Amino acid sequence: MTRLREIVRLLAGLLRELADESAYQRHLDRNGCQHSAGEWRRFSEARLSAKYSSPKCC
Amino acid sequence: MKRVLAYVAWAAVALAAAFCLAGLALNRGEPINSIWLLLAASCIYLLGFRFYGKFIAARVMALNDQRATPAERLRDGVDFEPTNKWILLGHHFAAIAGPGPLVGPVLAAQFGYLPGTLWIILGAVLGGAVQDFVILFASMRRDGKSLGQMAREEIGRVGGFTALLTVLLIMIILLAVVALVVVNALKGSPWGTFTIVATMPIAVFMGLYLRYWRPGKVLECSVIGFVLVMASIFLGQTVSQSAALAPWFTLSGMALAIAIIVYGFFASALPVWLLLAPRGYLSTFVKLGVLLLLAAGILIVRPQLQLPAFTRFVDGNGPIFAGKIFPFCFITIACGAISGFHSLISSGTTPKMIAKEWHAWPVGYGSMLLEGFVAVMAMIAASVMQPGVFFAVNSPAGIVGTTPAAAAATISAWGFPVTPAEMQALARDVGEQTLFYRTGGAPSLALGMAHIFARGGGRALVGFWYHFAIMFEALFILTIVDAGTRVGRFMLQDLLGHVWAPLGRTSWMPGVIVFSAAIVGAWGYFLYQGVRDPLGGINSLWPLFGIANQLLAAIALCVATTILIKMHSARYLWITSIPLAWLLLVTFTAAWQKIFSPVPAIGFLAQADKLENALRTGAIAATKAVETRALIFNARLDAALCGIFLVLVTTILIDSVRVWIGILRGRREATVREAPFVLSQLRAEEL
Repeated sequence: MTRLREIVRLLAGLLRELADESAYQRHLDRNGCQHSAGEWRRFSEARLSAKYSSPKCC
Repeated sequence: MKRVLAYVAWAAVALAAAFCLAGLALNRGEPINSIWLLLAASCIYLLGFRFYGKFIAARVMALNDQRATPAERLRDGVDFEPTNKWILLGHHFAAIAGPGPLVGPVLAAQFGYLPGTLWIILGAVLGGAVQDFVILFASMRRDGKSLGQMAREEIGRVGGFTALLTVLLIMIILLAVVALVVVNALKGSPWGTFTIVATMPIAVFMGLYLRYWRPGKVLECSVIGFVLVMASIFLGQTVSQSAALAPWFTLSGMALAIAIIVYGFFASALPVWLLLAPRGYLSTFVKLGVLLLLAAGILIVRPQLQLPAFTRFVDGNGPIFAGKIFPFCFITIACGAISGFHSLISSGTTPKMIAKEWHAWPVGYGSMLLEGFVAVMAMIAASVMQPGVFFAVNSPAGIVGTTPAAAAATISAWGFPVTPAEMQALARDVGEQTLFYRTGGAPSLALGMAHIFARGGGRALVGFWYHFAIMFEALFILTIVDAGTRVGRFMLQDLLGHVWAPLGRTSWMPGVIVFSAAIVGAWGYFLYQGVRDPLGGINSLWPLFGIANQLLAAIALCVATTILIKMHSARYLWITSIPLAWLLLVTFTAAWQKIFSPVPAIGFLAQADKLENALRTGAIAATKAVETRALIFNARLDAALCGIFLVLVTTILIDSVRVWIGILRGRREATVREAPFVLSQLRAEEL
């Protein structure tokens, strides 16, 4: 049961990482700010501009 | 006791690998079950990971968990962040898994399932995974530097500049060839076209949802997007059966090519959050989900392989692409065994997220083995079809004949029986008008996947599964097209920024428009050329892409070899130099044949000469003169591009060999440019 819970935790972690939700949470924690539409936009713009400036794999 | 048990277990895995490989290699004349392929791949990948990968990690790289990684030292919570190794493995795998390992093996199946499968298994263990792992390691020890930066620092300025130029040219060919795969999959298919068109407003809706309605809720938004995409697949069937709506979505190859070119331009110039990012999130989740589904489907259904181990086309006269097993099987498989593009990912985001040095082993080496596994699954999906059907779908009209009856007769005469009625019934089952001449690999992969999924869930759903598979392929290929166009623009601006600084500013609107148009125009021209090609385009563009991709891998292995020589002199030179030598042999032979082979089906120049002679002697009607002149120009352009690739890689190779000889003879200082050792303070519970 513990192993299953660990797998589910890792899967959820992977999905959140792929969705940039973990990175956003880290951004909030690091800057000590609260979630807001403006904060998400600021984070998202910086994140996406970095993400979409390197090639995607074939 | 534990140690003895481990030895026994690994000996059993080795025996199972040998048994499965022998079963595959020696079986002739009767269908073999796909489980043999899966078992052979699994056992060899396990052995490769445990022994070869670990040997490189421990002896060559001397990975050390006491040494702080860039993720720990430079932690900023955004790019540099220590990440759980399993999460990072999934993240890295999602980044490296593209259409290459799915399409390449399907095309290479024209030689039979065995040559491609053996190369996927051995190439991944000895070449692809080694390249990915060494570059990841090198980047991790150099604060996450990119391949280009490492090439510049380790080899020289010429190497760095050449690497950047090579990547840009490869991107152009890559975007053209993957766009052509989508065009061929959607040509004359209202169901497929409607589904893909529907993903665009869905992506824009997701973009607006994330920005204005529920900021930050990416997973929630992706679930909604996925439900809408699934609904569009169901709706697509209704559209395809509607006399009023179907003609709107029944597009020719040229119309689709123009639509994709226009899409590429706008996607590159529009704000990322509106279209690219939501599509990117959605396609990543769909991609991972479908690959898991395919693995589960193959394990549950365990289909028989219908293609023979070898086909008659090992003689080089294949209808999908011309050329013998050596070198063309290796060029065609490309990403499933070794992919140059992986070196860009391994020196991109991933090295900045590794928490402990030993995590590079599963992430770098292990992810490539997973990609090899995807390629094996694609080979299985292609091989479960009747050979006659496989060749009817993948052969261009220019080779098998322009009517279904002629095509069926030609393919049957090759020894792969198929009838127009059989193909018509299959097309009806999947909701298509025809399945003849659907070159490019995507439709046959979708058919194979639908065949596997429908066996598990009922034949009535075969049409749904076929279009689900087409949607999955087209969705993430278009993600590569839109993101690739944008990245290509950045690269071009980066190169031209050295000439005049303002050209390098990526937010300068005139620059955005001009350079987006330049990149779209470049790959759009090759796409246009592919659509106009009477042999289907894939015949010339896929080998060009394969050569380019493998040459990029050669560049990465040049950098990796330079680093290993600086670390250990000649001691472990063989680890990267053997795959490098093999790649150079394969790619230079393939490129040479593509340029200079006297056989018009293979050599670009021979093809141009043949057409020119036909034009001169009047064998081609005057009404086709303009079209033929365009084909002659295109063949010469392809030859020139192939030649440019060779010159670029030869430049890097000569530059690298100069550095290697200098170090090995003691004339040059072997400076290892690693970041200094800092003791890691990171605790396991932090991950």
